[in-house]
Amino acid sequence: MSAENVVEVRKLLNTVGKNHVLHRDLELEVRRDEVMTLVGGSGSGKTQLLRVILGLKRPAGGSVRVFGVDWQRGSANEIRRARQRMGMLFQNGALYSALTVYENVAFPLRERKGLDEDAVRAIVNAKLAQVELEPQHGKLLPANLSGGMVKRVSLARALALSPELLILDEPTAGLDPDRSERFVQLIKRLREEQRFAVLMVTHDLDTLNDLTTRVAVLADQHIIACGRLDEVRDHPHRFVQNFFGGDRGRRAFEG
Amino acid sequence: MGEAAAALEIAAGGAGDGPPRVRVHGEWTFRGLAAAKAALARQLSEIERHPARELQWDLSGITALDDAGAVWLARALREARSIEVPERHQEILRQASEGLLVPREARKGFDPLWAVVALGAAGINLAVHLRDGVNMLGQLAIDVFHVARQPRETPLLELSAGVFRAGVTALPVTMLVGFLVGIVLTYLSALQLARYGADLLVINIVGVGVVRELGPMLASIIAAGRSGSAITAQLGVMRVTEEIEALSVMGISITSRLVLPKVIALAIALPLVAFCTDLAALVGAMLVAKFTLGIAPAAFMEALPRAVEVVNFWIGIGKSVAFGFAVAFVACHYGLRVLPNTDSLAVGVTRSVVSSITCVILLDAIFAILLRNVG
Repeated sequence: MSAENVVEVRKLLNTVGKNHVLHRDLELEVRRDEVMTLVGGSGSGKTQLLRVILGLKRPAGGSVRVFGVDWQRGSANEIRRARQRMGMLFQNGALYSALTVYENVAFPLRERKGLDEDAVRAIVNAKLAQVELEPQHGKLLPANLSGGMVKRVSLARALALSPELLILDEPTAGLDPDRSERFVQLIKRLREEQRFAVLMVTHDLDTLNDLTTRVAVLADQHIIACGRLDEVRDHPHRFVQNFFGGDRGRRAFEG
Repeated sequence: MGEAAAALEIAAGGAGDGPPRVRVHGEWTFRGLAAAKAALARQLSEIERHPARELQWDLSGITALDDAGAVWLARALREARSIEVPERHQEILRQASEGLLVPREARKGFDPLWAVVALGAAGINLAVHLRDGVNMLGQLAIDVFHVARQPRETPLLELSAGVFRAGVTALPVTMLVGFLVGIVLTYLSALQLARYGADLLVINIVGVGVVRELGPMLASIIAAGRSGSAITAQLGVMRVTEEIEALSVMGISITSRLVLPKVIALAIALPLVAFCTDLAALVGAMLVAKFTLGIAPAAFMEALPRAVEVVNFWIGIGKSVAFGFAVAFVACHYGLRVLPNTDSLAVGVTRSVVSSITCVILLDAIFAILLRNVG
């Protein structure tokens, strides 16, 4: 495999239940330093694909490699190290509700061990500052946060270990247009400061247009098109035409 | 990808008369740091022998920098004056040094009046619980009145499901416990009574004890552990997932839809469970009486109605109705107070079980005093 790919999915066969095939012969790769966006209709299995890539679900066939490590075949040590090189932003944040904001961001750092408490504090405060939160927000519990703040704290936690791959599941879902614009700018800025690859799932055409380097379209159980936005947009598949060709699509890409 | 070039640092004496220069290069990442930890610590102590202000730092050789590396550098550079940093690393270093400057949370000092404060807080807490409990009791009464006027709104499905879950499925464990307690109790009293030759009194003691006290008590303690905790957890999760709010928004009364069926179901189920527990305990007693005292089961059965007045049975059944109501009521009370986080859920379930058992024992004591002249 080439060192350029942080994620490599080859000939993936993914089933739900006994007989229902969700993905067949699916090929996908995410290169170092790029933003790869996964689009697809509802029920096409985008989130399931993310779960397979994250190693939360075992595929029925094919191979999934993240940083060259196969979740099924790698040793426990390799897998742990690969996991520490990636960060995940869950759709609903998935913050630990019993821990404060500060403790949530500090959690992966403390689990990794090897840093003293002062260093952890410095990194947590730096991360909170990066996502435009004040140090005093650290004392709040997740239940007291607004939707936008949950996303930002969750992003800070995902970035805590300086990951080389960030996976975003619907990063702007549930945010108002202004907030989602700011969230996209935030990710853009962070990517300029720290080089990391992004794999994201989104339905938001503006987010897609602003961030993405390449797009992969998931339909009919596999990736039907993958490439730069202008290459993919002309694909004749019905989903692609509806998704990019509708009024919303035209408006988003004209600007 | 494995070759993470260790973070290295050369302290070269200044060229000629110039100040000493420290050149930093390599991979300043968490893994790079971990690989070169010992060497770095040694070099740092060497560097610290020079006056910090005179040192010249040159960071242009850094190939990779992450937060762990930036924090390390920010600490070492705290007093440095002359630093050469490449453009792309400036931001992360600035953030790390600012992060270090954020003051630590001040620890709260010792409050000499903490005991008074804690006592007062506990008192207020108790008052709040009582107020909310009375509030819910009143709401329940209104709901019962409402359902009585419009019997078609009786939540029959929830009721029967509740009776099945709290009653039928609880039978194996409660009956087993009842059987064992019957055996233990009979053994103990048989040993004592045999000394005085009052063997037949064992039927009085065990009969009254089981039917009037132990049956309902055992049944309700197990119900508190099984059904009470389940009710609290269910309502608590509904709070976490905002289902309770969704019900309120649809204009559906939470007490009538969620609390009332559970409370009534347990008030119906618990007497039935207590009755079965009584039976199991008496069977256990009969067995022991046969083997230790030689009382035949037929004689036991014959003596039982004479030894235990029927009113005792009804007192036991009546108490179980009250206990069932209390357990479900307390469980609902705590379930609706759960806050939307996992910690609060755990605390709520624990408190619910402890409080409902306490409540049952308290009620039992009250009944014992009120009914002391009956039976």
